[in-house]
Amino acid sequence: MTTVLAPVAGAAVGLWAVPDPVFSEGLVGPGLAIEPLREPGRAVAPIAGKIVKLHPHAFVVVGDDGRGVLVHLGIDTVQLKGEGFELLASEGDRVGAGQPVVAWNPVEVEAGGRCPVCPVVALDAVKEAVTRIAEGPVNAGDELFRWT
Amino acid sequence: MAADADAIIAGLGGAENIIEIEPCITRLRTEVRDAAKVDQAALRAAGAHGVMAAGNIVQVVVGPEADTIASDIEDIIG
Repeated sequence: MTTVLAPVAGAAVGLWAVPDPVFSEGLVGPGLAIEPLREPGRAVAPIAGKIVKLHPHAFVVVGDDGRGVLVHLGIDTVQLKGEGFELLASEGDRVGAGQPVVAWNPVEVEAGGRCPVCPVVALDAVKEAVTRIAEGPVNAGDELFRWT
Repeated sequence: MAADADAIIAGLGGAENIIEIEPCITRLRTEVRDAAKVDQAALRAAGAHGVMAAGNIVQVVVGPEADTIASDIEDIIG
């Protein structure tokens, strides 16, 4: 079993609320999303493991059991080409759950006309494997969902 | 399971049909010359989780290996 932490502070919402069908239809896996607090923040690793993919706007951490969790900071934020994001770790690094990975500012993302919501996805998991823990407000590092 | 680069090229209508291919963390965002040549069933069979097409923009959802697959495709189509 894996307990997945909230990577950012905000309000936990269903993936259906994400305005991108890749996430709302669960094409890469089930999970939850966080409507982030509108203030500069640091996105933390949702699980302990290795950062196998690190983009300024998104990253994937894979645990020792091989399970990967994707954190995407805002929607269509690949278009920002890293502007407004600061990497606090490197691809290939081992991180502890809750360790900061990227600094960003949801206010700037929103000011640029993009939705700052953050999908947190249990990659390739079946829908039934994910059980919601958080309802409503969360801090970065709080338990978000359980992956059995 | 990683999607197969050759099969994705075929599903997009072949190398000559691909104008541009750009990876995001979960998908390949491609621009094609002729959207009618895109075979969504073939792309799914190639390992895509889903395909979203709007005009000549086709997004192939392949998961977090998108950047690796995109560079494989670029190597093949040159």
